[in-house]
Amino acid sequence: MTDQISTPAGTENVTSETPAIQLIGLTKKFGDTTVVNNLTLDIRRGEFFSLLGPSGCGKTTTLRMIAGFSDATQGRILLGGQDVTSVQPHKRNVNTVFQSYALFDHLDIEGNVGFGLKRKGLDKAEVARRVNDMLELVDLQGRKNAKPRELSGGQKQRVALARALVNRPEVLLLDEPLAALDLKLRHRMQVELKEIQREVGITFVFVTHDQDEALTLSDRIAIMNNGVVEQCGTPEDVYERPKTVFAAGFIGTSNLMTGTYSAGAVTVAPGIRIELPGHPELLDGSTASIAIRPEKIWIADFEPDMVRVHGQVAATVYHGATTQYLVNISPEIQLTVVEQNLVRSRHDDRWSDGDSVEIGWKPEHVVVIG
Amino acid sequence: MSLQVEDALVDATTEKRRSPTRTRLWGVLLAPPAIWMIVFFISSIAIVVMLSFGHVNDVGKAVFGFSLDNYKALADPVYLKVLLRSAMFAIATTVISLVLGYPVAYTIALHGGKYKNALVAFLVIPFFASYLIRMYAWSTLLADEGLVNQLLRDTGLTEGIRFLNTPGAVVAGLVYGSIVFMVLPIYASLERMDTALIEAGKDLYHSPLQTFFAVTVPATRAGMLGGVLLVFLPALGDFVSAQLLGGPSTYMIGNLIQQQFFEGHDQPLGSALTVVLMLALLVFMVFYLRATQRVNRET
Amino acid sequence: MATDAMTQARRGRSVEGKPKFAVAFTALFMFILYVPIVVVVLFSFNSKKSLSVFGGFSTRWYQQFFHDEALLSSLRASLLIAFVAMLASIVLGTMLALALERVSSRPARITGTVALIPLVTPEIVTGVAALLFFAGLGMKLSLVTVILAEITFSISYVAVIVRGRLSSMSDEVEEAARDLGCTPFQALRLVTIPTILPALIAAGLLIFALVFDDFVLAFFTTGVDPQPLSVRIYSEIRMTISPAINAVGTCMLLVSVLLISLSLIVPRLLGRKDSSLDLISGG
Repeated sequence: MTDQISTPAGTENVTSETPAIQLIGLTKKFGDTTVVNNLTLDIRRGEFFSLLGPSGCGKTTTLRMIAGFSDATQGRILLGGQDVTSVQPHKRNVNTVFQSYALFDHLDIEGNVGFGLKRKGLDKAEVARRVNDMLELVDLQGRKNAKPRELSGGQKQRVALARALVNRPEVLLLDEPLAALDLKLRHRMQVELKEIQREVGITFVFVTHDQDEALTLSDRIAIMNNGVVEQCGTPEDVYERPKTVFAAGFIGTSNLMTGTYSAGAVTVAPGIRIELPGHPELLDGSTASIAIRPEKIWIADFEPDMVRVHGQVAATVYHGATTQYLVNISPEIQLTVVEQNLVRSRHDDRWSDGDSVEIGWKPEHVVVIG
Repeated sequence: MSLQVEDALVDATTEKRRSPTRTRLWGVLLAPPAIWMIVFFISSIAIVVMLSFGHVNDVGKAVFGFSLDNYKALADPVYLKVLLRSAMFAIATTVISLVLGYPVAYTIALHGGKYKNALVAFLVIPFFASYLIRMYAWSTLLADEGLVNQLLRDTGLTEGIRFLNTPGAVVAGLVYGSIVFMVLPIYASLERMDTALIEAGKDLYHSPLQTFFAVTVPATRAGMLGGVLLVFLPALGDFVSAQLLGGPSTYMIGNLIQQQFFEGHDQPLGSALTVVLMLALLVFMVFYLRATQRVNRET
Repeated sequence: MATDAMTQARRGRSVEGKPKFAVAFTALFMFILYVPIVVVVLFSFNSKKSLSVFGGFSTRWYQQFFHDEALLSSLRASLLIAFVAMLASIVLGTMLALALERVSSRPARITGTVALIPLVTPEIVTGVAALLFFAGLGMKLSLVTVILAEITFSISYVAVIVRGRLSSMSDEVEEAARDLGCTPFQALRLVTIPTILPALIAAGLLIFALVFDDFVLAFFTTGVDPQPLSVRIYSEIRMTISPAINAVGTCMLLVSVLLISLSLIVPRLLGRKDSSLDLISGG
């Protein structure tokens, strides 16, 4: 499931190659419910790593176990090669940005950001200097003496980030930190978050249910469902080459079809055979699921090597930059096709509901799952 | 994934999770107050129950025992009358508080505008004056030579009315003593209510009064139930109002208990009376909890 | 239509023309609420010894009060009882609230329910129980026994108020403290307690006012000398009617109103929204 499974390293042979976080067979049960199930995962140093999944998939529980707020039922957690499975949260060199920000109401911004450093026993001047630097990084130097309640949502978010980052943790854990912000602010914070991460070079573990956010920000993404990692890889990997039906369906829109493979084609419905060249690993008579992204399907101007299918336009939805067509290729199977509305695109408005069309795609754009 | 499973998972992930060390701290925090409550409250209630089966010995000292004599003694019509009167007074107090308190809560919640908080504060402040002082104030006001009768005589309409020592005065005192505890919960539930409901109701029903009884009243049942509890409980056990505004002919169970401990010196009998009071409240609480559960289910 | 009503309702919550009857009724209600109190205060300044005829302004009843050593010692006793009960019940009640809010085990839930019982128990029952308890232990009734009984009653009160405040505080705040290097106890001391401090102050002032005014519990658990002020007043009321009582009553009113006003203002001064008004009205 993961692309590399490493053996746990002892402290003596920690190298720069040692993953920032190693989760080994991590399991969490609440009563009879298994929320995280035998999770094994390596998170590399300095990477922006996202745990992506629907609510209840176990991503937040995983994060809480890394932070130490939740005990693992089974398995181990290694931070920088050291086993911290039973280490208390205040002794782990990780910091968390909480979904609710969890700022301390009774302290001003300076007090909030300097809280962790003071706990570490740094002298006042050093605390003040680092707090200043950090407030500058998050662009809040003017609000040092403001109380949390005087800040906007976006500003609170930055204080929460600064409060965690100022401690220079080995790993920064972010629990849906942008979920409470409105759309516009969220997009701006995404950009800022990525910039800050590049600047400080700290490993970020980012929990989100928002696939766009994960795709935009991450170096790698782990897609979680029902307590297990469905797929782990770069944004391109998980988007272009989903390995499971869930991964294909959860990220973006996918046209998923399942049928029986024989002689270089899949029968997805009676009489509908979809050619599937270049898959020698598939055995005749086996069941195959295939996924094609809507933007990879063409609706005209085909190239010679394309696989083509006949269909009928069921609906046309204009989205501005794109137009979405729903095309029925059989009574049961409807494919989504997304076309860029380019000036050079000569078939604007050429298709309307009820039209018989031919759609096609390049064989390499078909992803075979399972 | 079925909806139920998903819900369970979401519940599980949002449920409070503690590491063992934290639980230890909370245990340390829980122990002192829990021990305090067990020592000073639970055990003292247990002593009351135990003593209610005891008797007063030859030298006038209360001793524990296993007899039902005290309870049998309470079956005497003299006591039964007082018990019945207490119940009637408490019920009357509750009903009157509800009838008088509801319009006040309604007016403040729906027509208080920007003065809402100030009005609530204005309403609450008198109730932090000592209960005793407030009862005393009424007793001086309602006395035969008190201000009210003085004013009545000045009008020349009457030679004065006898207020004190009447059931009315005792119930009025009880209402005055705790009506705020009726107003506040109703106010809170009116505040929470979506006023669009009333608007919708107006389309359905003819008069504002019909709308009020068909829409507003059901929507605030939880608040009314809370108020009923908070008014009924102290009213049933009160003895100050009957002491200061009434007399022996209006005594309630609280007065009997007080007498047994301070004048009659029959502590076992007083304990039995206290147990009867507790049982009455227990029965009331059972019905009350059933009613709140029903209301919670319906809303 | 419906949307109109909703926006209107959100804006002002005034959904219909003000019913004149309801407004007049409320005004009358408030008036009657204050009549006895105003009368007590007014006649405490009466130059005559009458409680129905006002003879002119005088402070003679206050002078009498302030020269009555027995009443003064009762006042001091009541202040002491209220102060000690306030401190002890704030500490114990807050501990209880913290534990109940954070532990979801069965014993904790049972304790939580038990801790609420004193609130729904009529004071006379608590009073009788405390009296018999102290008698059973052979303790001589005194200010100590009054204080112990008042603490027991107040713990439940504090626990309810503080729990209400805690439940509106995200668990994540405490976790953030742990995350930033606090032991569980440090998180409590450095974050949780300071966060709920305004609620604690408001609760403390409320408890002080309640205990200072309390009569029934004090009546059952007090010894002979000095008696709490409310018990002293009670015995005086039953013996004679004297405007001196009005002077004492007015002073008690002053203390209560001052404390309640403080409990309303303090949280605002500290810049928090949670005033005791919300705590009382559940809003």
